[in-house]
Amino acid sequence: MKPKSYETLLKETAPPAPDGQARVLAKRAALAEFARVNADEVAPEKIETGFFQGLLGALRLSRDHKSHGSDVMGWNARSKMFAGAASVCLAVVGFAVVWPMIRDGNSTRLLEKEPTGLLVPEPVRSETGEAAATASPTQPIETPVSNAQAKIEEQKAASRVDIKVPERDSLAADRKKEDEELVPSQVVQLGRDEVSRQVSQKDASIVDSITAQDIAKLPDSSASEALQRLPPGSVNGASSPAPTAAQPSEGDDQLQEVITTGRRADRRAVSPHKGVGAPKVNSGGSVAGLFYSPVANEPAPALPPPEGRDKFEHFDSNAVKQVADDPVSTFSADVDTSSYSFIRKQLNAGVLPQKDAVRAEEMINYFDYSWPAAESRERPFRPTVVVSDSPWGKGRKLVHIGIKGYELDARQRPDANLVMLLDVSGSMSSPDKLPLVKESMRLMVNGLKPTDTVAIVVYAGAAGTVLPPTRVGEKEKILAALDSLQSGGSTAGAEGIELAYQLAERSFRKEGVNRILLCTDGDFNVGIDNTNELKGFVERKREKGIFLSVLGFGQGNYRDELAQALAQNGNGVAAYIDTLSEAQKVLVQEAGSSLFTIAKDVKLQVEFNPSTVAEYRLVGYETRALKREDFNNDAVDAGDVGSGHSVTAIYEITPVGAEARMVEPNRYSKKSEKPAVATSNAGEYGFLKIRYKLPESSKSQLIEQPIRIGADNHAGAIARDVQFSTAVAGFAQLLRGGQYTGTLSFDDVIKQGLAARGDDPFGYRNEFVQLVRRAQSARGM
Amino acid sequence: MDDQSLIRKAQGGDANSFAELLDLHYDTIYRFAWKWCGHKANAEDIAQLACIKLASSLKQFRFQSAFTSWLYRLVISCAQDWQRSQARHDHDEMPAVEHAGEFSPAEDRIYLTQLLERLSELGEGMKETALLVHAEGMSHAEAGVVLGVSESTISWRLHTIRKHMSKSEARTSGSL
Repeated sequence: MKPKSYETLLKETAPPAPDGQARVLAKRAALAEFARVNADEVAPEKIETGFFQGLLGALRLSRDHKSHGSDVMGWNARSKMFAGAASVCLAVVGFAVVWPMIRDGNSTRLLEKEPTGLLVPEPVRSETGEAAATASPTQPIETPVSNAQAKIEEQKAASRVDIKVPERDSLAADRKKEDEELVPSQVVQLGRDEVSRQVSQKDASIVDSITAQDIAKLPDSSASEALQRLPPGSVNGASSPAPTAAQPSEGDDQLQEVITTGRRADRRAVSPHKGVGAPKVNSGGSVAGLFYSPVANEPAPALPPPEGRDKFEHFDSNAVKQVADDPVSTFSADVDTSSYSFIRKQLNAGVLPQKDAVRAEEMINYFDYSWPAAESRERPFRPTVVVSDSPWGKGRKLVHIGIKGYELDARQRPDANLVMLLDVSGSMSSPDKLPLVKESMRLMVNGLKPTDTVAIVVYAGAAGTVLPPTRVGEKEKILAALDSLQSGGSTAGAEGIELAYQLAERSFRKEGVNRILLCTDGDFNVGIDNTNELKGFVERKREKGIFLSVLGFGQGNYRDELAQALAQNGNGVAAYIDTLSEAQKVLVQEAGSSLFTIAKDVKLQVEFNPSTVAEYRLVGYETRALKREDFNNDAVDAGDVGSGHSVTAIYEITPVGAEARMVEPNRYSKKSEKPAVATSNAGEYGFLKIRYKLPESSKSQLIEQPIRIGADNHAGAIARDVQFSTAVAGFAQLLRGGQYTGTLSFDDVIKQGLAARGDDPFGYRNEFVQLVRRAQSARGM
Repeated sequence: MDDQSLIRKAQGGDANSFAELLDLHYDTIYRFAWKWCGHKANAEDIAQLACIKLASSLKQFRFQSAFTSWLYRLVISCAQDWQRSQARHDHDEMPAVEHAGEFSPAEDRIYLTQLLERLSELGEGMKETALLVHAEGMSHAEAGVVLGVSESTISWRLHTIRKHMSKSEARTSGSL
């Protein structure tokens, strides 16, 4: 049976009928709460503010510090009077509501400093002797709050305490036992004291959040404040006399522990409304409407950087293909390198990357190779074809196809009209995000010509122009604008991307490069929410000559697939920037290639010669595969190559007659049958065709070159680079599971890498070898 | 009596009106809670939480949105609080799948539980979005009001969900 679609499942799966008793209990509990709330309306006036301190003391009291109880005795007596005013049922149920909170809330109070939005997540702790871990609510500290608020807090606290009075009197006895005795039968039936506890902890925060005008502010911002939480030390330091002071013995360690565990709890919760849930004792429905404490709207807490939510497009490694069946292989050029830097980041953190994050071609193309450059702008490629023995398949060969885009020198560079579109939402505040973006952009601006222009658009809660198109000659202005950027606020539907394109159109350079640089941590909520719509938008603007590149930052929520798709639709590169030196590489050393396209829609096609090659397999480029007929179709978009970019593709082939065939020949096909072409080109493995369009043209041109059997005697730099790219290809395949790499090990890759390091002026190749070592140890774990 | 006057009376402290309001909406609350967690006892817990919260916060309702939108918002909050409290208890085990009732076949409930889990994994707000639109039949705009995001965000989320679901469906059927 075919499972139902998820929509049907959601719609039609009928819940079992609710238990009648549950319904009655719920209603009873709600009515009691209702009565309590309405009784609270009257109660507060009776309380003198002078007792406020004592009240807090009572709330704060732990089992171990009962001495504070004496402070509130007098008040307790008074409060009994209006406790009595409520019905018995009300008092009893109200007690049931508050009691667990008090019981649990004592020993581990956390501090909360309201206006700064410092929120500490709910702590988790186990109480010995109790099966269930109980949690303590956080305790807000009122220090910076206005008088009015303080007063309201008092009233609320007071009204709460009046209900717990009967219980407080009994504290002297064995609390647990008392608990059982005091809890009325209906609550025992409930058997869910956390249900009521939940309510008492949180009603105010919920209440605050629910009013219509607040609704808009809540959900998306949950992550945004996460990183603005003060470290545990400062939590302690910032505190007023409250909770921890009452428990000197538990001090810092305890607090530390609570915060740590609190994080864990928080990570589990998959809700967009962390802020809503942050427990606060200053609850009390009636009051919340009178004022809005900033915290109520403040999204709260401390969502640690989400892990493992980086999204990658799933793909399977290219399979071995039989030349007899499928002699032609077609793919699009890919000059992106984001896969390598993402993997580097993961490995540096000691984690093996997920397989879908490993794109062999991007890892290979991360490195600069000495393929000879083309001579003219009109014919921007000169392919280099090298055949070498495969290090992981005996008898098989590797065919390297290297092309290097024509390198514009600085004089030839057209003027650039750049618009930086920067995500400044709260989630960008960690050091590897916005601060790195700013530094990266600063580096890039320093490398631009004075006649180039730069504009800055930011998006978060709202999109805005930080800097209108400004000549790089006025560099100070640009740098100052960059400096002024701060992260904050939520990422809401903004007009960011449209605004960026408007600016780019305003300062459009017909002869120059018009490009938008989108810097983001993966949240592409840039104003157009529908992914396809967004791609279409980018594509239409591309036709008008404005290109888009995507620079990814940060980790945890990185949406690689979308970054890739957008950059591909926008004729741009998708780079992932994990360190400042990566920014240096992408935006300064390779600024030419990242910013100045010398050829677009670059497609490669190889036709193998069935009389010399039995099987072939393309390493990488899985996500760039094209159909055979797309090659000559100029309407089909493909990758773009920038000034000086090198693109390397590696085929593993099995020559005819070699023992190493992966696929058995067909028993019944005629062995003598050979295509006529083959006889006249016996000295070729295959034939390479490259199609490209010059940046301003819409008609493609063709470069052709045979792959000769004797093409393996290169020496010097090229041979070394072939060896190095082979090592990188081997590494990438190992990270993807080593399906086709036989006995190749990380050690072999390290050896090859070390042998082929060459000059390595920037240390990238050395770093590669280090990465392989890290992968080796990460796998060992 | 219609919702509005009931609410106004209840806000004024009339317990009878509040009780009537509860009667009217308990089923909605419970049903949504059940779809949210896929488990009867848990849904009853959540529903009770929501009723209590409704009592304490009804005064905050200011008729600026539909009462049901506000109510859904409240139930979602309660459900999330509840889930947090569960997480705190380190209950990793799945609730036992209930016996087939007279309403839906057991396998549908199992699928639903799995589906809910997958939806939660997709990211914040995804499950709620899917529930409001597909289970409750809200428009994108209404769901946006409840969740406090723009209509287009809802559309985007649904698109993402659809993409993920079709991908995982393709994968399951491919492996069979």
